[in-house]
Amino acid sequence: MTVSSATTAISTATAARRTDRRLRILRRAATPAIVVSALGALLLWLSTLELDSIEQRTLNWEYIALRTGEHLNLTIVASILVAVLAIPTGILLSRTRSRAARGTVLGLANIGQATPAVGVVILLAILWQTGYTTALVALVVYSFLPVLRNTMIGLEQIDPFVKESALGMGMTRGQVLRRIELPLAVPVILAGLRTSLVFCVGVATIATFINAGGLGDMIVNGLKLQRFPVLVTGAVLVASIALLIDWVASVIEDVLRPKGV
Amino acid sequence: MRTRTTSLVALAAASSIALAGCSAGGGESAVPEEEQLVSGLTGTIGSKDFSEQYILAHLTSQLLNAYGADTDVNTQVVGSANVRTALESDEFLGYWEYTGTSWITYNGNTTPVVGAEAQFEATKEADAANGIAWIDPAPLNNTYAFAIRADKAEELGVSSLSDIAGLPVEEQTFCIESEFSTRDDGFPGLVDAYGIDVPNDNVALLDTGVIYTATAEGTDCNFGEVFATDGRIAALDLVVLEDDKSFFPVYQAAFTLKQETLDEHPGIAEVVAMFADKLTDAEMQRLNALADVDGEDPEDIARDWLDEQGLI
Repeated sequence: MTVSSATTAISTATAARRTDRRLRILRRAATPAIVVSALGALLLWLSTLELDSIEQRTLNWEYIALRTGEHLNLTIVASILVAVLAIPTGILLSRTRSRAARGTVLGLANIGQATPAVGVVILLAILWQTGYTTALVALVVYSFLPVLRNTMIGLEQIDPFVKESALGMGMTRGQVLRRIELPLAVPVILAGLRTSLVFCVGVATIATFINAGGLGDMIVNGLKLQRFPVLVTGAVLVASIALLIDWVASVIEDVLRPKGV
Repeated sequence: MRTRTTSLVALAAASSIALAGCSAGGGESAVPEEEQLVSGLTGTIGSKDFSEQYILAHLTSQLLNAYGADTDVNTQVVGSANVRTALESDEFLGYWEYTGTSWITYNGNTTPVVGAEAQFEATKEADAANGIAWIDPAPLNNTYAFAIRADKAEELGVSSLSDIAGLPVEEQTFCIESEFSTRDDGFPGLVDAYGIDVPNDNVALLDTGVIYTATAEGTDCNFGEVFATDGRIAALDLVVLEDDKSFFPVYQAAFTLKQETLDEHPGIAEVVAMFADKLTDAEMQRLNALADVDGEDPEDIARDWLDEQGLI
């Protein structure tokens, strides 16, 4: 009797875990499914249209692949640069006791974020140079703040007693940072990185103004020449990239999140 | 102001001598009553969203008001198509349009008519079917053009678009707008017409505002796509290359309005004719530079110019 009831309990638990996993997989699959169906619908709609010569120059595979590649390149390289620059800055700032230094860096990062992105890009192009590097710098300036702020918040929210006990067990300050603080702060830092990635996808559309390509070319083109299919294709592609990148980031976040946090 | 105007009008009426007519709106007028060509005309003069259009709108409104009308200016609408719609829906009394724009954008043609006069007549006729009238145009042609810095032009020995194809490929570099890169009357057509054959790397896609500075610096390109009447051309010491094969459509500016408005107030054509023929490319470039380079207010630029020309 007891044996059979225990078996039932186990099988119920297994079933619950199974549905739980199925739900998680479903949630995981939702974003790619939405993106694929949106792109499919777009393709279907485009295939019913008769394109004029202006539209044909942009709505072809070669052009779209080139612009999408440029867009992804800008977004990903800028995000890596932001991670490499903003996370160490955030760690340094959270170590310092100088209010002035913290205020200055946070203020600067805030300015970068608050300035209209088009302004930053065009100003840099006029004062410095046009092209890829300028667009990259503008993107980094623009998406620096979320990562910086999240790194600082992530480190500050850790219970001081945890740090203290680690020190008490004989760890050095560096060991505490590497083995206790950073792993605990990872979820918050990654959330900041995710925000800045999605920012980058949107802001990279203005790279078109300074000869750095990207899908902004299609959007501006479609807008100025009133070619609706070109405009819609550009916009749907940018939105799809933003969704997919956010999705990839969420998967990475799950993998990197320390167990039990 | 209104009280004073009213009392002045009353005084003039009482003395029954046409001493000084006063416009109801701004009080800028000084023409005798029998010369009030457009008295009773009210409404809004529209414009597109760049300096040349602001200046043209203010010129027209101020001179019409001097001849008895009561018009104001709205420079808030963005985009050619929206301005045209505002005219069609009677939100605007009229605005300055370009022949090429109407021919290609509103009337759905793909190839321009060769020659300024022929293009104007064709556009006028096409728009007559839409109930829109074109008053005789100004000589200015705000078409696409390619500009190069003056010293480089001399060094390379180029003065027309035909000269470009003969240059070494590394000198054949262009700054253009993304829009220009796909239109038939833009880059794809230009390279065909002039036999230019360059790799993609020679073409930089930039925003209009950046093109002028990039062309002046010469780092991105030798040849920048500009608008022929832009004030920055002279200010940055750029020279415009001659379109010797007449590839670009003519974008001659003319005042457009509803035919019914013109029928009701034929004086509008007379008033516009008083200043339209003085607006050449060079004169318009000078006026545009006052706005874009010196930062003056288009309304003041218009008033000063009308005054200078002895029109008000």
